[in-house]
Amino acid sequence: MSCKKDPIGYMAHFNTKNPIPKVKAAEFTQPLLLTPSEDWKGYLSNSAGRIFLFAITFVSVIAVLLIFIFIIREATEFLTGNNLKEFFTSTGWYPTHNPPEFGILAIMAGTGYVTLVALLLAVPLGILAAVYLSDIAPFKLRQIVKPIIEILAAIPSVAYGFFAVLVFSPWLEVNLDITKGTNALNAGIILALMALPTIISVAEDSLSAVGREIREAAYGLGSTRAETLIKVVIPEAHSGIIAAVILGMMRAIGETMVVLMAAGMSSQIPSPWWDLADGVRPMTATIAQEMGETPKGSLHYQALFAIGFFLLLFTFGLNMLSEHFLARVRKRKRG
Amino acid sequence: MTQLQTSDAHIEQIQIKTKVKVQPENKMISAANSASKTCPTCYVIAAEDFCFYYGNSVGVKNISLEMFPCTVTAIIGPSGCGKSTFLRSINRMNDLIPHTRVEGRLIVNNHNVYDKRTNLVNLRQQVGMVFQKPNPFAKSIYDNVAYGPRLQGIRSRSQLDPLVEESLRSAALWDEVKDDFQKSALALSGGQQQRLCIARALATRPKVLLMDEPCSALDPLATARIEDLITQLKQNYTIVIVTHNMQQAARVSEYTAFFCLGELIEYDKTGKLFTNPNKKQTEDYITGRFG
Amino acid sequence: MRLLIRQLWDKFFTGSAVVSILLMVLALVLILGPMLARGGSAVFFRGTVEFRKMQLALFNRGDVEEITAESAEVAKSRKVIFDTLNHFRRGIETEHLIDRARKIYRDYGDQLRQQNTPSEQYILLRSQAKKIRNKLCDAYESVDKNQALEDLGWVIQQQDNTNFKGTLLEELFTHAREYKKVVQSIDLTRREQYAESLNEVQTILRELFGPLPGEPTPSLALFQYGATRWDLAQKYLHRLLWKEEWVQTTPNQPLVRKEFERKTLFTGTELESIFDEVQNNLSAMLKPSRTFYWQYFIDDHPPGYYFGGVGPEIVGTLLITLISMLVAIPLGIISAAYLIECAGENIIVRVIRTCINTLAGVPSIVFGLFGLAFFVLYVLPRFHLSPKECILTASLTLALLVLPVIIRASEEAIRSVPRTYKEASLALGAGRFRTFVTVTLPAAAPGILTGIILSVSRAAGETAPILFTGAVAFAEIPRSLLKQTPALSIGSYVIATSDNVGMNLPHKQYGMVMTLIVLILCLNILAIWIRSRTSKKLHGY
Repeated sequence: MSCKKDPIGYMAHFNTKNPIPKVKAAEFTQPLLLTPSEDWKGYLSNSAGRIFLFAITFVSVIAVLLIFIFIIREATEFLTGNNLKEFFTSTGWYPTHNPPEFGILAIMAGTGYVTLVALLLAVPLGILAAVYLSDIAPFKLRQIVKPIIEILAAIPSVAYGFFAVLVFSPWLEVNLDITKGTNALNAGIILALMALPTIISVAEDSLSAVGREIREAAYGLGSTRAETLIKVVIPEAHSGIIAAVILGMMRAIGETMVVLMAAGMSSQIPSPWWDLADGVRPMTATIAQEMGETPKGSLHYQALFAIGFFLLLFTFGLNMLSEHFLARVRKRKRG
Repeated sequence: MTQLQTSDAHIEQIQIKTKVKVQPENKMISAANSASKTCPTCYVIAAEDFCFYYGNSVGVKNISLEMFPCTVTAIIGPSGCGKSTFLRSINRMNDLIPHTRVEGRLIVNNHNVYDKRTNLVNLRQQVGMVFQKPNPFAKSIYDNVAYGPRLQGIRSRSQLDPLVEESLRSAALWDEVKDDFQKSALALSGGQQQRLCIARALATRPKVLLMDEPCSALDPLATARIEDLITQLKQNYTIVIVTHNMQQAARVSEYTAFFCLGELIEYDKTGKLFTNPNKKQTEDYITGRFG
Repeated sequence: MRLLIRQLWDKFFTGSAVVSILLMVLALVLILGPMLARGGSAVFFRGTVEFRKMQLALFNRGDVEEITAESAEVAKSRKVIFDTLNHFRRGIETEHLIDRARKIYRDYGDQLRQQNTPSEQYILLRSQAKKIRNKLCDAYESVDKNQALEDLGWVIQQQDNTNFKGTLLEELFTHAREYKKVVQSIDLTRREQYAESLNEVQTILRELFGPLPGEPTPSLALFQYGATRWDLAQKYLHRLLWKEEWVQTTPNQPLVRKEFERKTLFTGTELESIFDEVQNNLSAMLKPSRTFYWQYFIDDHPPGYYFGGVGPEIVGTLLITLISMLVAIPLGIISAAYLIECAGENIIVRVIRTCINTLAGVPSIVFGLFGLAFFVLYVLPRFHLSPKECILTASLTLALLVLPVIIRASEEAIRSVPRTYKEASLALGAGRFRTFVTVTLPAAAPGILTGIILSVSRAAGETAPILFTGAVAFAEIPRSLLKQTPALSIGSYVIATSDNVGMNLPHKQYGMVMTLIVLILCLNILAIWIRSRTSKKLHGY
């Protein structure tokens, strides 16, 4: 048994004052090697587990695929059979006439109007609020304001629509002397309120992600807080802010109930074009209003799906765009 | 290196068939018979040209050393020199990190732990680990200590109670918590939490205890208590401790390894290393010229 | 100088940032305030005896004896009004009187025949009666006071004719005398107007007090009871006292609305007194008292959807939300677990993440379209069920909507569990699955719970996806998963745009949306509270 206790050979210099006690080492009682059957079992259960988890996660992919497939299916039946050009360029949406007309130019303009009003209001306010939250507010105040913004985000769209049509609209009619209170202005203002929390949270995230160092550098050179923010921090965080605006836009475009109740539902482009106090009918509201009574499978039904398809495409594109900008923010955060 | 590269599988096969250890010819590695049954004083852990890579950067390179049973081996070195990497490789904790690569062998109880067929559960139950920052689970003290044995299948309170008591006594925590086991572990102080983690690691009856800078997050009083604990524990366990505090290494260990920039510079008995080191780098580090 | 400008800019910038936050807080208060306040009046209000009667009849709620006693009291105080009204009506509703006179004449003829009067006398008596009847009818119809008085005088004189004593014609004379009194007091030329105004007054009185005594019970519950709330009663009272008119104050301008006292329409008549009577004694006639109608949240709608509460809607919302959570929560948590624990960095995982982000960005109405096209029209037939919208399809659609939210929240929660927890567990020999279930998941549980609560609040508030996949307004509590259901969100939408409810029962409108808002606010505050507690535990602030 040639088992060397001290192979390195330093025992020669061993200090007899503190010898290594000769005790029985605790023995490894359990094998460190897997038996083949254990190995196989482990491998199988591991793989089975992974495959199961993967399959469940893949459901989201399947869901997205299904959504696209089913919407495209109905939409293309309409689009291939009819005049595409008329669909996009005509302003007359009369699906119940004989023969029916399907022109969504006015409807798309409706979406455009309310979204524009919403963004014009929400973007400056949102960025200012985000700046306040990330730089100006003391800690305690931030703890109070953040929940308020979350509550603003959590109020359901029906409640906003309710407010718009029953409280805000009469107020507009009385105080601003508008004939009909449900119009693009009304819907736009409410949509701005709904998009604000999204814009604020994403913008604030990206403003914080810029980090203290850049701010310290600017302050160290003698800038006031406004200058630091406007000239240094916001430009640094521009990808995040663009992403915030895009996400807010997505929220405004995709919102249904508020515009259904408050935008006036008259399918025409306001005239004169700058008159926001005219009723409009955005895409989402058209679908919501008409789908209930449309016979399934009819041309009208397919036309509504075509509108849905464009909504889907457009928001999908915006989503990809915002993801691109958000990825930039994440890269910066990781440094 | 080439002799050792007789494939692990080949050696294992031979060992299984003949129950006789093949003697690789290498001065560093002694020929060991099956486990420690016939040779109670043989090495428990041995590294043979062990290399560990994180992606492309080197963690440790060409580490060859042995650690003996019932001793305390300290690993010292400046920060970033691979001490923790090496320690965590011993019980395969580095598996958690993606994109890593291993070369060479790391042998625990005559088994290369980086063999594909290693029984990780058994390995980790018998090679326990205590981490730098105390990390008790958000459960009661009792449940923390009983976590390991429960994994092994011991469920009945009659079996768990003495086990928990023994672990807590070994960790010198029994007197302080014996009144209330159901208290949340997070309510203990830092030093108590670390001793709880030691008790938790001891509950699985490990043979080896790996400690990754166990006292760095504690105040001096708690540190002293844990060092006393280590000195008591080494009678029954093999302990490997990574520390950046040289005085601690000198107080506690019998063997010390000095790592620098991923390589093993010197491995010797503590007394010799600290008073009369062989390599200049070791001397520079010990006298404080760098690191 | 330049420094001053820069500092001014700084202050201005800070000020505008503060203003924007204040604007948002103000908006929140302005939006929630009126809706919660007005909706609150659906639960806290001053209810009248009519309300209690209605509750007893429709919901079997309340003390029968007490309510009967109250009704008796109230009937007594109202009696004055009703008597005056009846009296006046009889003066006005001359058609009724004319018919009555004719009928009496015919009955008299029958009576004569029965008595077997000889034909000569029969003819004589009948022609005399006919003359009386005609004169009486002329008196009824004429608008000339004097002429009517003359005719009536003549009729009354006929009373003395002994032939007519003890016959049915006595009634005619009574009517003539009464009518004479009426004629003396009112202005006959305005009788038409009186009729119209009387109708108006009667309608309002019906709204106030329910069907007038003597009238048959109407079939609609709406008309069976008077004003159930004190504020409604006040509104009706105002309408009773003031009549609105559109006058043209300036030529070529739109008409302006003006009000004048309705009392003036009846000057000189006995009806004039009831206006003051009602105004002064309304509380005795309706007995308002503070009511806390918490059963609003559990009451069904009785037929007519006029009274009752939002019970079915709450049940519907809870059902839909529950089922969609049952589907989405396991899917979400398991997906999050996979993405963090097992997934590598390959292209498939990137595709999965992109798809999750896409799902998060799909507009809610498109989910509704998909739910219709897929779940209702494609999946249901596959299972041999009829392709009709139902709770199942609505819940599945909502589950898809909510899935990305749960995945994101769970991912964040699991990722925030410190790595040393996992390491400690693994170092003790636990397998990956064991470690996840016994250590990571409990540690991440508060974050996951917060995510779940927020998704529940989102699912409860969504309307567009369930609009045509299974929710309808004004339905009953569904008995099976394959039926349609009411829900708070869709109910709020429909009720907000239906005008007649709005005019009469604004509190019912606001009540439904208030319920929805209160539900969602509670859920959100719960989530915020959980998050702040765990944040304190994990981070110390």
